[in-house]
Amino acid sequence: MIKLLHVEDDADIREIAEMSLSLTGEFDIIQCASGEDALSRVADYTPDVILLDMMMPGMTGRQTLEAMRKMPHLADVPAIFMTARAQFDEQEELRKIGAAEVISKPFDPMELGEQIKAAIKK
Amino acid sequence: MLNLFKQTRNGAALAFGGLLSAGWYISANSLLSGTAMHSLAVAGAIVIAGITPMWVSSRAMAKRASSQNRSLSQRLMAFDRHVLVNVVDTQGKLTEVNDQMLQVTGYALDTLVGQPVSMLYADNEGHNLAHAISKCLRRGETWQGETPLRCADGRVIVTHSTIIPLFDSKGKWTGSIAARTDITRMMKLLGEHETIETLDELRDDIWILDADTQNFTYMNKSALSRLKWSHDSLREQGIRDIAPLEGADDLVTACDQMRHDSQNLAHTEVVLAGITFAVTIKFLQVGNQADRFLFVLNDISERLAEERTKSDFISMVSHELRSPLTSIKGSMGLLLSKAAGDIPEKAQALLEIAHRNADRLVLIINDILDLEKISTGRMEFETTIGDLCDLIRESDHANEMLLQRYGLQIEIAGTDHPILLETDHNRVMQVLNNLISNACKFSPPGGKVHIIVQEGTNEVKISVKDHGTGIPEGDQHKIFQRFADLQNSDRATKGGTGLGLSICKAIVESLGGRIGFETREGKGTEFYFVLPISQGLGNEELAVSEMREAS
Repeated sequence: MIKLLHVEDDADIREIAEMSLSLTGEFDIIQCASGEDALSRVADYTPDVILLDMMMPGMTGRQTLEAMRKMPHLADVPAIFMTARAQFDEQEELRKIGAAEVISKPFDPMELGEQIKAAIKK
Repeated sequence: MLNLFKQTRNGAALAFGGLLSAGWYISANSLLSGTAMHSLAVAGAIVIAGITPMWVSSRAMAKRASSQNRSLSQRLMAFDRHVLVNVVDTQGKLTEVNDQMLQVTGYALDTLVGQPVSMLYADNEGHNLAHAISKCLRRGETWQGETPLRCADGRVIVTHSTIIPLFDSKGKWTGSIAARTDITRMMKLLGEHETIETLDELRDDIWILDADTQNFTYMNKSALSRLKWSHDSLREQGIRDIAPLEGADDLVTACDQMRHDSQNLAHTEVVLAGITFAVTIKFLQVGNQADRFLFVLNDISERLAEERTKSDFISMVSHELRSPLTSIKGSMGLLLSKAAGDIPEKAQALLEIAHRNADRLVLIINDILDLEKISTGRMEFETTIGDLCDLIRESDHANEMLLQRYGLQIEIAGTDHPILLETDHNRVMQVLNNLISNACKFSPPGGKVHIIVQEGTNEVKISVKDHGTGIPEGDQHKIFQRFADLQNSDRATKGGTGLGLSICKAIVESLGGRIGFETREGKGTEFYFVLPISQGLGNEELAVSEMREAS
C-alpha cells in the first residue's frame, strides 16, 4: 500500500480524491484540511507521497511543503501539487520548487491513482 | 477668406482713382511736381497703405507745398517699396503692377499685364475671390481682407489687401486699384504661436529634437514640468540628459535607425520617472528646415493598471471556477465509472452529456486564461534550440487518445532529417496540438490526418491537413476571430471553445511566424503555420541539444 498524505481545504474534492484512490485499492490515505493540520500530523508519520493543494487559506501548499522539507524524515518524500492555477508556465515554476508532478484541477478521478504512482517512480 | 472691412466710396478714393486711372507710375511721378490735387491723391494712396492717414485742406497744402511734397515723395517711395500694388480695368484685367509686386511674386511685367487678376488669387483658381471682390467694387465699395496670391513658382503668399474702386470725373467706374501687404510671415508666426499655446494645453508630453545636434529644440509645458527643465536650458540637452528616463540609449538608437532607414514613424514604450509612456516618434523632414524628431509621450500607466486589474479579475474568476468544476467533473466521472454502482442506461447517457460539457467548460476557462495572458503581454515564452521533428513525433503520441476516440491515424511527412529551431517548443506544441485536435474533430471517422513539414531557406512550414467538410466561404474570413459565429462549426457537438485558433494565431505571431489555411468545401482543410529558422544554427547546436536530451 502506498501511504499518501492528502492536504486539501475543499471537503468535496477531498471526498472525490479519496473515492477515486480507494477504487484502486493501492493507497492508504490520510487527509488534512489545512497545511497547519498536515504539519501536526506528520510529526510521527512518514508518507510515501504528499499530495498538496496549492491555494489554501492559512499556509499555502508551497509554504507547507517548505516547512515539511525542513523535517529530516520528509526531506525526500515526493510531493505532488494539485492546483487550479496550473497553466503551462506555472507548472514549470512549481516543478522548480521541488514538485515531482503538478496535477491540474479539475483532475480525472479515474487517472488520479496512475498519475500519483507515475510521480513516485520519477 | 476674411472680408474684414467694407467701406463706401469716398471723395479721396474718387480723386485718387481719377489720377491713377491715367496710370500709377505716371501719376506717382507727376505727384512729385507738387500740385495740391496731386498731394490729395498721394494722401489717398497713403491712406490705402495704412502708413500715415492724413487729410489736409488744399489751402494749407498750398502754403506748405514745397516741404510737404518732399515729405510725401519720401513716403510714397517707402509705400511703393513696401506695398504690392496693382491696377485692374473694368474687365478684371491687370493694367499695371508695381516693382514690389513683381519682386515678391516673381512674375515678369508682361506675364501679368493684360491677364485676369484672378490668375493671382490662390483660391479655387482665383475665380471665387475675384468675383466676390468685383461684386463689392461694382457697388462702389472698398474691399479689404486677406488675399492669398499664387507666385510664379507656385508658392502661395498671404497678403492683406485694400482694393478701391476707381471712377472717372463723371463718376463712371473705370476699374480698381489694390494695395497689398505681404503678411505670410506674420501669419506663420501667429500660427506657430497658436500651435505652441495648444501644445502647452496637452496632457501628453511633446519633445522636438534636432536630428543633427541631437539636442532638444522644443518641449511643451507638461514635458518641461515633468523634467523640471526650462525653455532656456532646453537647447543644451539631449535624450541622454533626461536623468529619470530608463532606456535612453534605446530611444537614441531608435532615432538613428529611423534616420538611417528614412522611416517616418515609430512606436515604442519608455519608463520616465517610474511612469510608463507610449511614445510615438515622427521623423520630420520639411523643406529647408533642419531634420527633426517629434516625440509624443502618452502616459499609459493608468490604462495599464486598469488592464491589470481587469486581467487579475478574469484570472481570479477563471481559477475560482475550477474548484467547483473539479467536484462536478470528479463526481460525474466516478458515477460514470460505476464507482457508486450501476446506473440506468438513460441516466448514463445524460451523465455523459453533462461530463462532456464540463470538459468543454474547463477548456474554455483554460483558453480564456491564455487569451488574457496574450492580450496583457503576460504570456511567457521560453526560447530554446531543439529539433522540430522530435516535437512533431511527440505530438503524435500526445494525441493518441484523441486519435483513438475519432478512429483516425496520423501520417507524418518531411521529418526525415533534423530541423533546428530556436523557439518556444512548448508553445509550438500547443499550436500543433490545437490544429491536430481541430483536424480530428472535422475528419470523417477512419480517415487520416496529415502533418507535413516543409523546410525552406529561412523558414519552416508545418501543415495539418484533414479530409473533412472544409470551411464554408462565408466563414473563412472570421476563422481566427474569438468566438467566431461559424455556420458549420458544430462547436457544441465537436467540443471546441471558439478560442483555440485565435490563441494559435497570437502564439505563432509572438514567435515571429504566421498562420493560415487553405480549404476546399467537401475536400478538407489544411491549416499551416510558418516559423522563422534562425540562421547560423548548425551541427554544434544539434549536438548540444542531443546531449541535453540524453542527460
